[in-house]
Amino acid sequence: MATNHRIKSPVLKVDSVAISYETRYGDVEAVRDVSFNVHRAQTLGVVGESGCGKSTVAFGIVDFLGPNGKIVGGSIKFQGRELVGRSQKELRKLRGDQISMVYQDPMQALNPSVAIGDQLAEVLTIHRGISQQEAWRKSIDMLERVYMPDAANVMDRYPHQISGGQQQRVVIAMALLNNPALLIMDEPTTALDVTVEAVVLDLIEDLKRDFDTAIVYITHDLGVVARVCDHVGVMYAGEIVERGAVEMIYGNPLHPYTQGLMRCVPKLGATKEGSILYPIRGRVPAPKDRPKGACIFAPRCDYATERCHNERPLLREIESGHSARCFYAEEIDASAWKPPEGLVPDLLAPEAEEVDREPIIRVKDLKTYYEHESKSVLSLVGMGEKLYVKAVDEVSLEVPPGKTLGIVGESGCGKSTLAKTIVGLESPIDGEAEFLGFNLTAPVSKRDVQLIQELQMVFQNPDSTMNPSYSVGKQISRPLQRFRAASPDKVHAEVIRLLNAVRLDGSYYNRLPRQLSGGEKQRVGIARAFASRPDLVLCDEPVSALDVSVQAAVLNLLLEIQREHGTTMMFIAHDLSVVRFFSDYVAVMYLGHIVEFGPAEAIYAPPYHPYTEALLSAVPIPDPTAEQKHIRLEGTVPSAMNPPSGCTFHTRCPRRSMLPDGGKICETQVPPWRYNTEEHRIFCHIPLDDLRKMDPVVTTREG
Amino acid sequence: MAVSEQTIPKKIARPSRWKRLREGASILFASKIGLIGLVIVLFWILVAIFAPLLTPYGPTEQDYTAQNTPPSAAHPLGTDSLGRDIWSRLIYGARVVLVILPVSENFWLPGGTALWGVFLGLLVGSTLGLMGGYLGGWVDEVVMRVLDAMMAFPVILLYMIIIAAVGASATNVVLAIAIVGIPGIARLVRSLALDIRTRDYIRAAETRGESPWYIMFVEILPNARGPIIIDAMLRVGYAIFAMGTLGFLGLGLPPPSPDWGSMVAKGRQFILSGSPWAALWPSVAIASLVVGLNMFADGLREESLRYQ
Amino acid sequence: MLVRDYMTRHPVMVEPETSIVEAQGIMAEAKIRHLPVVEEGKRLVGLVTRERMRIPPTELASLNVWEITRFLSTMTIKDVMAKRDEVITIGPDTPLEQAARIMVENKVGSLPVLEEGVVVGIITDTDMMAHLTEMMATRISGVRVTIRMPNVRGELAKMVGALGEQGWGIVACGGVPAPKQPDLWEAVVKIRNAPKEDVVAVLSRVEGQEIVDVRET
Repeated sequence: MATNHRIKSPVLKVDSVAISYETRYGDVEAVRDVSFNVHRAQTLGVVGESGCGKSTVAFGIVDFLGPNGKIVGGSIKFQGRELVGRSQKELRKLRGDQISMVYQDPMQALNPSVAIGDQLAEVLTIHRGISQQEAWRKSIDMLERVYMPDAANVMDRYPHQISGGQQQRVVIAMALLNNPALLIMDEPTTALDVTVEAVVLDLIEDLKRDFDTAIVYITHDLGVVARVCDHVGVMYAGEIVERGAVEMIYGNPLHPYTQGLMRCVPKLGATKEGSILYPIRGRVPAPKDRPKGACIFAPRCDYATERCHNERPLLREIESGHSARCFYAEEIDASAWKPPEGLVPDLLAPEAEEVDREPIIRVKDLKTYYEHESKSVLSLVGMGEKLYVKAVDEVSLEVPPGKTLGIVGESGCGKSTLAKTIVGLESPIDGEAEFLGFNLTAPVSKRDVQLIQELQMVFQNPDSTMNPSYSVGKQISRPLQRFRAASPDKVHAEVIRLLNAVRLDGSYYNRLPRQLSGGEKQRVGIARAFASRPDLVLCDEPVSALDVSVQAAVLNLLLEIQREHGTTMMFIAHDLSVVRFFSDYVAVMYLGHIVEFGPAEAIYAPPYHPYTEALLSAVPIPDPTAEQKHIRLEGTVPSAMNPPSGCTFHTRCPRRSMLPDGGKICETQVPPWRYNTEEHRIFCHIPLDDLRKMDPVVTTREG
Repeated sequence: MAVSEQTIPKKIARPSRWKRLREGASILFASKIGLIGLVIVLFWILVAIFAPLLTPYGPTEQDYTAQNTPPSAAHPLGTDSLGRDIWSRLIYGARVVLVILPVSENFWLPGGTALWGVFLGLLVGSTLGLMGGYLGGWVDEVVMRVLDAMMAFPVILLYMIIIAAVGASATNVVLAIAIVGIPGIARLVRSLALDIRTRDYIRAAETRGESPWYIMFVEILPNARGPIIIDAMLRVGYAIFAMGTLGFLGLGLPPPSPDWGSMVAKGRQFILSGSPWAALWPSVAIASLVVGLNMFADGLREESLRYQ
Repeated sequence: MLVRDYMTRHPVMVEPETSIVEAQGIMAEAKIRHLPVVEEGKRLVGLVTRERMRIPPTELASLNVWEITRFLSTMTIKDVMAKRDEVITIGPDTPLEQAARIMVENKVGSLPVLEEGVVVGIITDTDMMAHLTEMMATRISGVRVTIRMPNVRGELAKMVGALGEQGWGIVACGGVPAPKQPDLWEAVVKIRNAPKEDVVAVLSRVEGQEIVDVRET
């Protein structure tokens, strides 16, 4: 249908907006000179790392800046009406039910003590004044439109009774009930599992078509942007540095920051070369350190000149509809970029002689169950049925020394429990685990100090990985002292050496954790883990809480250290693209089982286990032109207390139809291991030949 | 972030204690309420320390010619029924409460009964709380039930039972204060430990095979010190109140000890007959100290919250 | 082809208390000529158009300079809008041509689209014209032929059949009674991917029908 005669004016017109916060030290500018337009039925992605101000802009639009934030310049026009400078009352009237917002945490919008149906209906009865019944009916309609299974029943439930993905769908339904002209979404899928995220993203795309809503989509995930956005604004340190249509931004990024981002985003490349992550050196400047008369990215830019340090570039149009804030945007050729010396370890260097060595760690049929407190009266007396959460259920794996095993799975698959069992924080109830001749089935308290020393861990959350009361140096020296890895007079020097190894200089010795950034804390965590030169290091999602550019740096660091010390690594992640570039082996886990195991290249190419295939199709790829299969999993992950019989994946497997009888056998029998090659095995009933005939999930253009 | 290759000097001094103290002090001074509270508390401490210099009379000096006199030039706050100068008794009383603990005839410890009582309570209570919070399981069950039992007694009753059992002396009062404080402190520390033990750095310590005692006292406790300190401040206030009440009930420090509670007790009879001074001033003193401590604790909490 | 497919959703709207000056600015910037006036919950209470914003000269004549300025600056939309009962509206599931008919018969340039009293969109004469261009495949290149035939059942089918036999793609097809000759019917078809001569040849062979115009567009 023809739309080019339609209203050309944007639903939202943001023009040179500046937002500041009042702090103890004076006014701090969080956002400066931000301009963009959003039209009907268009999705604008605002993308950037933490601290870039993207959420601040969103809050500025809906006037949620808090008591000490204010818009100090520019204009925000919504449907032609100026929002800046109006009173609260006026704003409320103007916005009314025309702007809705969806947050990262659905529980911020949902009242835990009110039934979902009531919360939805309330949106309508308050704004539109229609009857409760009418509102109820419309709410059910809307829930069905957001593909909520069993919508009528969900209306009577409470938020905690539905899963995270479903909660987010309810929030989206609530946001759309009043048919807003503008929908602002602030990282709505960041907290969701990859497969759930894929379904919610599909939903957002559908809704765009049906409702013609203008959407501002805020995220740090370049893959998600490629999937749902039409236009993109890239933000850095409070400014928009590049803006344009999504194909242009990804196909021809003009600003060095965007180019840098593209290089450090994990990709599902077909080869190891295609998957290398290049970090951006330097650190985002704090709001009070942002120069007004210079290019804000200059300190970190590989192309910066004298001019960049003394003059502030304006956002100018380089090609039609594509603008960048750089003096040299036309001249910089991203494809000619070479990584500076030492930025990444030499990953492509041939490794030391491949000797067929015995695996350094061997796990066989490991089972770790948690006992679940039953609520029945009988259990009080000890006679009730014991319920177990089967977190790890018959897992077997082996890793040769010096190699990296990536363990991937979504929440509830048992990967964390597996790691904890190996390290000794949990005790298995059955199975064998052996490492360097030591038995790993004993808990930490019963293990030999020698064993403990060789088996260390890097944790996920940088904010809690360090003890806030002690200095960095003290915390790194503790393992050195405890394991006597260095004599008392050499400890200090060794700590400095470790700090340098993680690219922090000696002055960090006396700093307290609260003085460090997330990436720096994670590095200290790595230094601490490697202090005693363990033979095996487990990394439990060490980078998922970090910004993309910092992730790349930390991942490369891990690789480098591993190479230097010859450490074996087990790396846990929830995302297949993150482990791609440096895992030698990959294990995919689902509900306590490993469903596929093999060398990395084998996992990303067919034959796939159906779950691996679904995971690969769900990962948002930062390339809008890539072709990716569209396999989605129905339903939710079953409870680990009562896992399905036979193959635990049978309740959601999209490939069941490949078997006779619609896969009856999957319900009754535990699948066999199919060996594609000696090292690559798949846990499935489907015969190998059929699996081999699958098409690859992703076809990207390399480079 | 720089990757510097410069040589590092042998010993890098830690930001000195002074710097950290100054930082702590600046938190203090940022809150007006905290400042006022601090001033009040300091007033009493200094007055107690310099007691002999601030009054010509001893606390037990009796003057039969001047019984129950109102404030005058000679006796700024008046005298009690035995002719003792109230002001002197107040400031010497502050000593016992805040500054000096007379353990026996010849032996005394710095710190005062209230402070020692709270301190002991902290020691035992924290340990119990850490054990219950971190070790969990049956240890936690046992600790909790013991605490529940202790908390079932009304505080004053508990005080009375203890003193009645072991007799009234400075050290016994300290003991009583400690015992009464244990359940509250233990519960606080336990809930802090429950929260802190979920942190990754505790996992890291466990992965290193550190012993539970190490983890409890070296890893967990320092991170709980904020709320514990603030709670301790408040407890000093409660302790003083309690001593006052004990004294009032005749179970406090033995006479002629000038503790405020006893002073109120003795002076009570004369309120209606026109000489309220003996009861009034110690009451004001108790109130002011308690309020001062509360304000100080408030100020600390406000600022440390903002600081977070 | 329903109204909901062609209307503009989330139209720019104002409240009754909006000043005329502001409304003017909005209309100018958004380049629109029709502004629905709504209250809480997007309930339609009136409609403002450019014509409505013209103050009748008779009213003006009675004011002096000071009064005019005050008049202009304090006037709100409420004072000039067409009230709800004067505004013609339609529902989103109305066929487009029905909407067009209403607009023609009532001489209005736009129709607010309401669902249960709530504004969900607006459809204007420009939308209608866009519809027309779509219907006639104006943007697709091909051979456009006007054929005159007796206004009798079966004639159109004959012509379409002849084209169909050739396997050609018909991208547009419309017709009206011939102007001033009610026994005749004029059909316009647009054919794609077919050479003009072939089309002419085929259609000439259809009995009783005459090619009146043929062009490549």
